[in-house]
Amino acid sequence: MSEPKLKTTRRRFLQGTAAAATFSIVPRHVLGGPGQTPPSETFGAALIGCGGRGNGTFGQLSRGLNVKQLARCDVKFVGRADNKKVYTDFRRVLDRQDIDLIAIATPPHWHALISIAAAEAGKDVLCEKPMTRFIAEGRAVVEAFNRYNRVFQIGTFGRFGRPHMETHKIMASGLLTDCQAVHIKRGGLKVKQWSGSVTERVERVPKNLDWDMYCGPAPLKPYVRRRTGGTHRGYWDYEGGGLSDMGQHHFDPVQWTFAKDNTSPVEIEAHAPPAHPECCGMWGWVELKYADGLTFVMDSGEWGQRYHRQQPREVSLSDLSKADQEKIKALPDPDPLVSFGEAVKNRKQTGGHPEAAHRASTLLHLANVAIRVGRKIEYDPVKEQIVGDEEANRLINPPMRAPWHL
Amino acid sequence: MAINEKLKVQVDKMPAPDGRGLLSGIDEKAVDAALAAIAALGREGVVGLVEMLVEPQKGGDVKARYALHALATEAGAKPEAERKAFATALASTLGGDRPKSVQGFVVRQLQVAGGEEVATSLGKLLLDDDLCEYAAQALLAIGKGAAAQFRTALGSTKGGTKLTVVQALGVLRDASSAAAVGKVAADKDRDTRLVALWSLANIGDPASVDLLINASNVKPTHERTKATQACLLLAERLLAAGRKKEPTRIYRHLRDTRTDASEHYVRDIAGQALAKI
Repeated sequence: MSEPKLKTTRRRFLQGTAAAATFSIVPRHVLGGPGQTPPSETFGAALIGCGGRGNGTFGQLSRGLNVKQLARCDVKFVGRADNKKVYTDFRRVLDRQDIDLIAIATPPHWHALISIAAAEAGKDVLCEKPMTRFIAEGRAVVEAFNRYNRVFQIGTFGRFGRPHMETHKIMASGLLTDCQAVHIKRGGLKVKQWSGSVTERVERVPKNLDWDMYCGPAPLKPYVRRRTGGTHRGYWDYEGGGLSDMGQHHFDPVQWTFAKDNTSPVEIEAHAPPAHPECCGMWGWVELKYADGLTFVMDSGEWGQRYHRQQPREVSLSDLSKADQEKIKALPDPDPLVSFGEAVKNRKQTGGHPEAAHRASTLLHLANVAIRVGRKIEYDPVKEQIVGDEEANRLINPPMRAPWHL
Repeated sequence: MAINEKLKVQVDKMPAPDGRGLLSGIDEKAVDAALAAIAALGREGVVGLVEMLVEPQKGGDVKARYALHALATEAGAKPEAERKAFATALASTLGGDRPKSVQGFVVRQLQVAGGEEVATSLGKLLLDDDLCEYAAQALLAIGKGAAAQFRTALGSTKGGTKLTVVQALGVLRDASSAAAVGKVAADKDRDTRLVALWSLANIGDPASVDLLINASNVKPTHERTKATQACLLLAERLLAAGRKKEPTRIYRHLRDTRTDASEHYVRDIAGQALAKI
């Protein structure tokens, strides 16, 4: 099947104008002006993953930009893909040189690989949360976007309100070395809603679904309907239950507030029963402690005892000496966080950049590792490895099914 | 009471699914006590649990699967001799006429709890179309003793198993396999070719520079993008190993050939890297 003809894209336009700089007559629609949008401001875009979060994610990608959706891709489009506007294989979408931006709204086991492939193909990415399925994927995304100098924004935006500015300044200053703060998130983590069903029977794969491609880097298991269509969240192969689904929303802004975008907790402990091998399930609470003493707690309220070890405690100026309090008061507010649209247009780093998104995602993965192994774990946030627990470490970077790899 | 009867009594104490199929009402203390009782049965307990497993379409083995996985997870925290005994018992159930899907589940538990002691048992499965992928993932997770199994398998693999084995050798960065992997880089199957190129790059094989550069000279498609990525990865690996000549060749090639606007970002990377060498 022939590929669609190349259209004028932002990159092609910029290259073309440089080469043809001696021309003096340029159509108005090319230059722009009142009521006109020049090609240099129009971005070809594609949506990969057209399920429940698809249109919402594409809408976030389009905010503040003039975007034209040129392609939609989903593994459930078998039989209706024309490889012109509708695709089943994201690799064919990424081949198109008239597409600059990619919105990713697949289940999370595909987020990292498609993000990386998009960066390799020179595209900018807005990716639905959670960023990844396991920790090593996040580091690989960070490295890919650094290497290719592309723009990435995670699809959660709570941090853009820059909540609790004073706390952020105190924590970012480095003046508070012994942090007593305890941030507890009670409820809202959809444990039962996104637990997997252990009694589902194997069914025939629907004709419109490329099941092998759906599984992708995850193990190729027999088809079970609940492994797709939103309920995928309840299976370790694709996500990590409600904790992964909602955790990045809850903890990404908190991570910014406490200035932890470049590090991770060092001790993680969970109150949970033994986990099921395939299905995400019940847990009570998870405590995640950073090296400086800051503690985050996820308290599900859906199983076992409520978290009772510590009470919530904020950071305040009174935690510092008088002299240090004056230093904090004198600090200017940090620069506003950069939106995806501005980052794309001006080649800046977004507010929800890969490292921050990776660290927020790491919180969820560490919590789930502690739930799954049922023992306290220690984490090295620099090496991004669990210390002294080889079996737990196997959940940091589980192998992928060939030909998919980081 | 016979071992099998003792085992059944304890397995029955594992949580039962609620009306939605969720394990929502787990009594942690009761489960822990039952798991301890099963563990005390030793090898016969482990083998007995595997005997209770059935193919997924038959169902009805939820409690046995739950118990076996919980024991595998706990094994990691136990003294090495106990972990080894558990893994060895589990590996002894592989093969024969046991359903492949059940063996697959056993292999996945070895991915959790296994060590070098089960590498040979897993290596035998690398030529099995149904179990190769699971065995490969378990071996990669285990690490120790894995490379030798993949090296041995490479000479006999075909189709999907070849893809899996070549990728695994790349993940393990097994330099002694570079020449053999290089031969796969001309495979008829695109995915296999690309996996071989990536493996050579990840291994950091200095003899593969020309091969990778040539592979990246295809028309602008996914294959060109991935071969280019392999070139960049190889250059980075070689630089990290203290070599400059080969990375310089790679970057110069990319700088001089990625002249279309759609590939300027690659040209920029190459230019910046050359400036640093």
